[in-house]
Amino acid sequence: MRSNLDRRHFLGLAGLGAGAAALAACGGPSTAGTADAVDTATIDFSGVKPAASIDFWTNHPGKSQDVEKAIIEKFHAKYPDIKVNLVTAGANYEEIAQKFQTSQAAKTGLPGLVVLSDVWWFRYFSNGSIIPIDGLVKQLDIKIDDFQKSLVDDYKYDNKQWALPYGRSTPLFYYNKDHFKAAGLPDRAPATWQEFADWAPKLKATSGAQYAYIYPALAGYAGWTLQNNLWGWGGSWSKDWDITCDSPQSVAALQWAQDSIYKDGWAGVSSKEAADDFAAGITSSTISSTGSLLGVLKAAKFNVGVGFLPGGPEAPSGVCPTGGAGLGIPSGISKEEQLAAATFLKFMTEPDNTAAFSAATGYMPTRLSADMSAVLAATPQIKTAMDQLAATKVQDNARVFLPGADQEMAKAAAKILTQQGDVQATMTDLKKTLEGIYNKDVKPKLKA
Amino acid sequence: MFLAMALPNLVLIGTFTYWPLINNIYYSTLDWTLGSASATVVGLQNYVTFFTSEDASKVLGTTAIFTLVTVGGSMVLGLLVALALNSKVRGTTFARSAVFAPYVLSGVGVGLVWLFIFDPGYGVLAWILRGFGQQSPQWINDPQLSLVMVIIVYVWKNLGYCAVVYLAGLQSLPRDVMEAAALDGANTARRFFNISVPLLSPTTFFLLITTMLSSLQAFDLIRIMTPLGNGTSTLIYEAYLQAFGAYNRAGYSAAISVILFAILLIITVLQLRFVERKVHYS
Repeated sequence: MRSNLDRRHFLGLAGLGAGAAALAACGGPSTAGTADAVDTATIDFSGVKPAASIDFWTNHPGKSQDVEKAIIEKFHAKYPDIKVNLVTAGANYEEIAQKFQTSQAAKTGLPGLVVLSDVWWFRYFSNGSIIPIDGLVKQLDIKIDDFQKSLVDDYKYDNKQWALPYGRSTPLFYYNKDHFKAAGLPDRAPATWQEFADWAPKLKATSGAQYAYIYPALAGYAGWTLQNNLWGWGGSWSKDWDITCDSPQSVAALQWAQDSIYKDGWAGVSSKEAADDFAAGITSSTISSTGSLLGVLKAAKFNVGVGFLPGGPEAPSGVCPTGGAGLGIPSGISKEEQLAAATFLKFMTEPDNTAAFSAATGYMPTRLSADMSAVLAATPQIKTAMDQLAATKVQDNARVFLPGADQEMAKAAAKILTQQGDVQATMTDLKKTLEGIYNKDVKPKLKA
Repeated sequence: MFLAMALPNLVLIGTFTYWPLINNIYYSTLDWTLGSASATVVGLQNYVTFFTSEDASKVLGTTAIFTLVTVGGSMVLGLLVALALNSKVRGTTFARSAVFAPYVLSGVGVGLVWLFIFDPGYGVLAWILRGFGQQSPQWINDPQLSLVMVIIVYVWKNLGYCAVVYLAGLQSLPRDVMEAAALDGANTARRFFNISVPLLSPTTFFLLITTMLSSLQAFDLIRIMTPLGNGTSTLIYEAYLQAFGAYNRAGYSAAISVILFAILLIITVLQLRFVERKVHYS
């Protein structure tokens, strides 16, 4: 009996320890006070020969695996001495970030080039995980002036360029043209949410769909899409580093959203992917990324319309955030690999390739000189996304720079939109949480 | 000789279990952002932060509810299923396989299928409810219902394990005792509660330990069905979210892992010392 218990106890302990193994298997950090920041002055690529092979870590944003493969084949034809291995490093931006951060900690297996989303690149910068690419831009003659300025500026900090735009998107208003027609509504997106509130009961009554509008899934990027509502009502998640999610304007915006579900009864909340719900006919309209455009057009069995995001009572226009992902180069790899990665980065973002990527996904072309005529002839809806770029704003700091803020915003949104929680109290709690994250994880790392 | 035989296993367990465990305890004393090459030693600050935060009560409460309901649910339902399977009716061989099958299925696959069932938009359950003129509850977005959803799926997946172990226990019960009780006039319920249940106590004790350890370490279903962990963040999932989710607080996550380790250790020791006294081995 005793020996049985001992063995069981021993095996039990072995099981208990397994949970810790994942974290502990990573290489440990130094506690000697070394700085994370990359010493950019020492990066000199003159005389460096590009590595023969690099990995490209991507989550294939917008189901772009095929077009990424095609671009890599073209690259191999032009640069036969550099082999690029396409690696599916996750199903979304979070999974790719998880793999990248873990490799950083393990100090092994890093890629040459990595997809980094709007909420992750700053963390990579502050951890010293990516290099500034200014020297490489100069050496490889990357035409930085030909990029969409607002998109390339998103990756600037401390007077350095830390990444280049790749699968860049904005949210779009998607609507079911057939439902709008049956309800006697004009064939366009509403100019404001107030206008849509007038339309919604007609849509609900005539469409047969469950909802006139469905809010994007909260486990996705609620902080991104609700940015539109907050700005429309004159609110925000933050102004610079001041957290303002509990301001009267922000609370009014989210109260209106809650009322659209519980009081007016024409809106719902997606459980998984609003674009899929829309394409399946569950709702007459939604907001989703431009990166979902091609997928929606392919899946929907009705006429799809797209338009700018609606404004609000305080801001009728200019209420659309930019989003999506860029490409960065890790600091923990050799200069040869960094140079090879930059060569591929240059090729990947050339006008022809950005146009091909846009045609395959619906993401916006990042280069001004990209010839989009053939793409727009085939998919005219992409033009709406391109035109909306002029009316975009950079997202609030709280959403993009605070680690975990997006998750906290999603939890708060869930409380408001699915549990009918008190909006003011929820936003006050969120403010406290976000300020805690800022003070602990961000403020100490900011440049003076 | 013993050492020579045990050494390979000791080296493996030492390398892949105890060394990471010790390392993890060390990491729990650091303020370390995952991905950063540097960290600061903060002593017990991560533990203080956890126990003084509002999240601690939420996470510990969620862990307790999830563990108690899944352990209780799996064992009670498993015993009922085992009683049904123990009866001499046709088709029990097939039924045994069917009941046990979910236990060996991949948690990821199970989670994805059940997500389709629970989806309030176009899930099977929503479709059935609409047939009765009812709207589907917000299983995925509502934190409280998310926990209920994950518990239902976890119990469904694991009750087959309890059923098979209980079935083995039931089939090894001494027939002479049962027959004697029947001759003495004890009815079915009395024989079950006064004879079967006490004689099954070694099986119950074994299942209590294994299912509790398993529930406290449940991860795959929670990760797949509720990636945000909103309402479903148990200790182990909170440790994952803090390090490998969006927060990247590796030191804080390590501290949560150590707390989980301590809880598991305490529960196991308590079970071995006190619960086992109630066990009848013959």
